[in-house]
Amino acid sequence: MSSDLTEAAVRALPIRSAADPGDRRDRLEEDVIALFDEFRDPLLRYLSSVGMAFPDCEDVIQEAFIALFRHLHHGKSHDNLRGWLFRVAHNLALKRQYRTRRDLEVPTEPGAENSAIDPAPSPEDQAAYSQTRLRLLAVVEALPEQDRRCLFLRAEGLRYREIAGILDMSLGAVSLSLTRSLVRVARRAKQCNL
Amino acid sequence: MKHKDPHLSDQDLLLDVDGEHSAHDEKRVRAHLKACWRCRVRRDELENAISDFVHFHHGQFEAKSPPPDGPRALLKAQLAQLASAEPSQPSSWFALIHRLRWSLAISTCGVLALGLFLSHPVRHGALRPQAAIISIPDSRLTPGAALLVDQRHVCTEPNIKNKSVPVALQRKVLQEYGIEGVEPRAYEIDYLITPALGGADDIHNLWPQSHSATTWNADVKDALEDHLREMVCTGNLDLTEAQQEIASNWIAAYKKYFHTDRPLPEVR
Repeated sequence: MSSDLTEAAVRALPIRSAADPGDRRDRLEEDVIALFDEFRDPLLRYLSSVGMAFPDCEDVIQEAFIALFRHLHHGKSHDNLRGWLFRVAHNLALKRQYRTRRDLEVPTEPGAENSAIDPAPSPEDQAAYSQTRLRLLAVVEALPEQDRRCLFLRAEGLRYREIAGILDMSLGAVSLSLTRSLVRVARRAKQCNL
Repeated sequence: MKHKDPHLSDQDLLLDVDGEHSAHDEKRVRAHLKACWRCRVRRDELENAISDFVHFHHGQFEAKSPPPDGPRALLKAQLAQLASAEPSQPSSWFALIHRLRWSLAISTCGVLALGLFLSHPVRHGALRPQAAIISIPDSRLTPGAALLVDQRHVCTEPNIKNKSVPVALQRKVLQEYGIEGVEPRAYEIDYLITPALGGADDIHNLWPQSHSATTWNADVKDALEDHLREMVCTGNLDLTEAQQEIASNWIAAYKKYFHTDRPLPEVR
């Protein structure tokens, strides 16, 4: 599982400095937009994978980038902004999901949040996806929620330490969770001869 | 005696694939892999599972994901609005506050004690949460909404400044802004695009303007609205442009059209 973003690139995100406050603000806006261009898709992919509808994902991403602007505007750390963005977006998404469930006052069954955004495939989708792909989907959807989150974060290139920080788990637990999930995927792939 | 499996575990293999082993463990695992075909095959199986999963995951997303242009433009607009509302150099303020923290702490305690005395419930009957000062509406909740009317229609209608908003709609606006438990009179539910410039009776055009705002308050906004209406009706400004200026950031519009960084004294 590899990512285009190396650790070095993540650490060297180009937040520039400027002497003039107006210039500094303009550059900060440009930098935040550049980060949006780079991380919007990975964030959207992660949030939608863990059960949010696309419009909600977009709202959460907007909030996360506004928080990032404030974070940088207040002179706070520029280290590992990718990890920072994923952590903030993850927490905002949890809050939003909690609020939605509370407002609706409808008990949510496990996996129900996923079905809201990812309904049973339409006939067109079914034609587009092979049977084996659907089986892989079934394996991933059957994983416990925390294992799915780990897997999707890793798929976006986050390192074990970053995942542990975002999901508030130990490094060992992240490693075990990923192994558990991938062993299941590998078993199913072998059965289907993917 | 417990039998020890001589082969590497799946967890070890995955840690190796992901480059997450310590230097010592990496050396041990690599030495084993060089000698053991079975573990090499298993490692390949795990790598293939990752590859299958990533193709499936990305393929599924690419088929459904919405384009980024709209959200990108929205973020740009929000950042521009935020940048004009935020103080320009907070870092230096933080540094100053850091240097003077003890003197500030002592003064703050004094001010708080005085404040507590003055605002004691015995003096005012009851304690209420303080109303937050909102000078610029949240563009996600209040992007502005206008009727499909032209300049001639707007300019023949009377200049209505304070068209009343139904109470139920007022409550909904406060609720959307998460304002609870404060004195309702602390806010005026105001039109972002004034009806005098074709603004609509729509929740997307309403926001809670704080009465406690001392600088950029409702009177200042009224002055801007009058000025823009005059420009529109004398043919010096396009109606749509006036609506857009006021909806995107009315404070910035005020600065632009009155050529000032502060509200002019006669309108405060």
